[in-house]
Amino acid sequence: MKLVNFKFRHKLNTIIGGEAHNFCYQCGACVGDCPAALYSPAFNPRNILLEALLGDEESLVGPDSVIWDCTNCNTCYERCPQAVRPVEVIIALKNISFEKGTNPPGVKSILDSVKESGRTVKTSSLSDRRRKELGLKEISIVPLEELKKLLE
Amino acid sequence: MMDVGRHPKIKLYAYSEVEKVSGYIGNFKVKVRKKARYVDETKCNVCGECVKVCPVAVPDEYQMGFSSRKAVYIQLPQAVPSSYLINMKDCLGNNPIACGKCAEVCDKKCIDYDMQDQFIDLEVGAIIVATGLDVYDPTQLDEYGYTRFENVITSLEFERLICAGGPTQGHFIRPKDHQTPKSIGFIQCVGSRMERRGNPYCSNVCCMNTVKDTVLLKDHYPDIEAKVFYMDIRAFGKGFEDLFKRSKEGGVKYIRGIPGDIEEDPKTGNLILTVENTTTGKIEKHNLEMLVLSIGFIPRLNPDPIQQLLTLSRTQDGFYLEAHPKLKPIDAPTKGVFFAGVAESPKDIKDSVTQASAAAARAGIILAQDKLTVEAITSIVDKELCTACEICYRACPFKSIIVDKEKKIPAEIIEAACAGCGTCGAECPFGAVTMRHFTDRQIFSQIDAILDENPEEKVVVFACNWCSYAGGDMAGISRLQYPTTSRLIRTMCSGRVDEQFVLYSFQKGAPVVLVSGCHFADCHYIDANRWTQRRVERLWDKLERKGIRPERLQLEWISAAEGQKFAKVMRVMEEMRKKVTKEEIEFTKKALSDLKPKGTKKVKVMAKATA
Repeated sequence: MKLVNFKFRHKLNTIIGGEAHNFCYQCGACVGDCPAALYSPAFNPRNILLEALLGDEESLVGPDSVIWDCTNCNTCYERCPQAVRPVEVIIALKNISFEKGTNPPGVKSILDSVKESGRTVKTSSLSDRRRKELGLKEISIVPLEELKKLLE
Repeated sequence: MMDVGRHPKIKLYAYSEVEKVSGYIGNFKVKVRKKARYVDETKCNVCGECVKVCPVAVPDEYQMGFSSRKAVYIQLPQAVPSSYLINMKDCLGNNPIACGKCAEVCDKKCIDYDMQDQFIDLEVGAIIVATGLDVYDPTQLDEYGYTRFENVITSLEFERLICAGGPTQGHFIRPKDHQTPKSIGFIQCVGSRMERRGNPYCSNVCCMNTVKDTVLLKDHYPDIEAKVFYMDIRAFGKGFEDLFKRSKEGGVKYIRGIPGDIEEDPKTGNLILTVENTTTGKIEKHNLEMLVLSIGFIPRLNPDPIQQLLTLSRTQDGFYLEAHPKLKPIDAPTKGVFFAGVAESPKDIKDSVTQASAAAARAGIILAQDKLTVEAITSIVDKELCTACEICYRACPFKSIIVDKEKKIPAEIIEAACAGCGTCGAECPFGAVTMRHFTDRQIFSQIDAILDENPEEKVVVFACNWCSYAGGDMAGISRLQYPTTSRLIRTMCSGRVDEQFVLYSFQKGAPVVLVSGCHFADCHYIDANRWTQRRVERLWDKLERKGIRPERLQLEWISAAEGQKFAKVMRVMEEMRKKVTKEEIEFTKKALSDLKPKGTKKVKVMAKATA
């Protein structure tokens, strides 16, 4: 028999947005309109909340976690009658996962890219040339110093 | 209703509003505005000739707009009194030249376009508030498409469509193409148990209403496919579970899951609903020909006049607050006023009837007596000291004080309405108001008795009769251990604890003082403990200005069930007492040595008490 992992729930409670998971009554209103759940049957926001209530650390923030399928569209936020804000619980879980280093490698590379260039997708000579051909303005440079201060 | 209309001892004022209420228990004076019906109800025999000729047609509110009515109409066939009325907003004008057709055909000459509102003055002993409810408007929940799709209806509209007296004579059809649907879905908890939109409370009746609807539907149309989307079915009452079982046996499918966006097939008008069946964890799509939203209750949108007239308060959800949630669920905090039905909280017919019967019985107790026996614990005013400043009137939670500032008429307590909290006595700056059985002199004497010997070893505790003192009892009955230094002074309400009592205790050398009362929603005198809080905050300021640590005066809310908390608070107080040094007490005595009692009379009282 598995026991509820309260340690993990306490940890989730300390992160902004994570504490609301306690109020979930599993009605399933978040699932009907979830675009991620529509395309990936493994992803189910109600189930993620259930696992959060049980404190299933391994499944939620382990290397095979489904939480990274969430598109942050906020529809569940709109639908939830209990004001649980599932999307924010998932973001809190993502933060825990990142701390543990169990996030998918792509997430790390995006983060590095933001730190280096201030953009999630780096510009390349190819994209610059293409913009010129289409008559678009040159991309402005991100003030990295300011960004660094903000990140600190 | 018919029986009520015919009863020789019941007077029914239909189509009327309460304009003004004054007085108190046993002696209420009520002014009622009887709105003009423009039809003489004593003569009208509902022959229906006027309806035939009326050229105006407007949506019928009673039929939820599914059919129309005329400007002269009767709300429903069983209405009491059985008489038509003219809605002047819809009528072509009370100008006989413009129309006047109904007056022409009325044989009995009941119709009078010049009728005026009448005012009726009543003298009553008790008042029962049964103002009912409104229903939740589902337009706010746009995902269900109530405003966009014709075949999405509310449970109230369903009721009209399946009723034999409804616009379709009981033939169940869907609005879009007037065909009987082959499949129908019900969505539960629309506007109920919702924190962000809608209402956070459970509306109590919608589950069983839907179960009843499905049973009814299956009785009339056994082939119809009915599905209910729910999160919990709350079938809690007598026979409810049986009905739920009958519904399930009849083939109604209960699917646990709240649907997301509803889409409409524009060709057929059918509704496509996506829902996660939480028992299987799979996302399902359902194609339904019709959808019923099971809407919840909301408090009456416009009951404010009643609330103001009767000095009622409301709970957080907007329903009227009862005098006590467990012991006085029928009484309003204002004496002589009772509740029946949904005005107090969402409830079904059975519970409403139960409450109404209880309210009638409670009112009957008052009406059966020529003279009312009230508690002897009430306030009294010394008219010589009163300056008619109206502070007591503002503090009184029951508005049981008559006083006029402009005309300098001194305060007078209506003893029948006074509940005896003593807040007026504590607030009066002139010492003009005191309380029977809890007089200033009695309480000063108690303080003296506590602090005459070894005051530095005592903790002075002011405890209210209903919660904190009972909490102390609970601690005793439960054999909880707490320090023996605490000395309790009982008052009816923490609102009685005068600033002077606290300052006098400090002046006599008390190291710490505790004021304790009921939790805010639990105050037995509506909101008298709010005054306690304000007063203690004032005292903290005052102590700080005099260089005394405000921490030495503590305020705690302890309920009658919180024996544990009482013991814990006493232990904390004891810890605080130990930290107060002798020098500090001496300093306090000096700082407060110029303490002047309010009002001349109090000087004497205090002098006597100290002597």
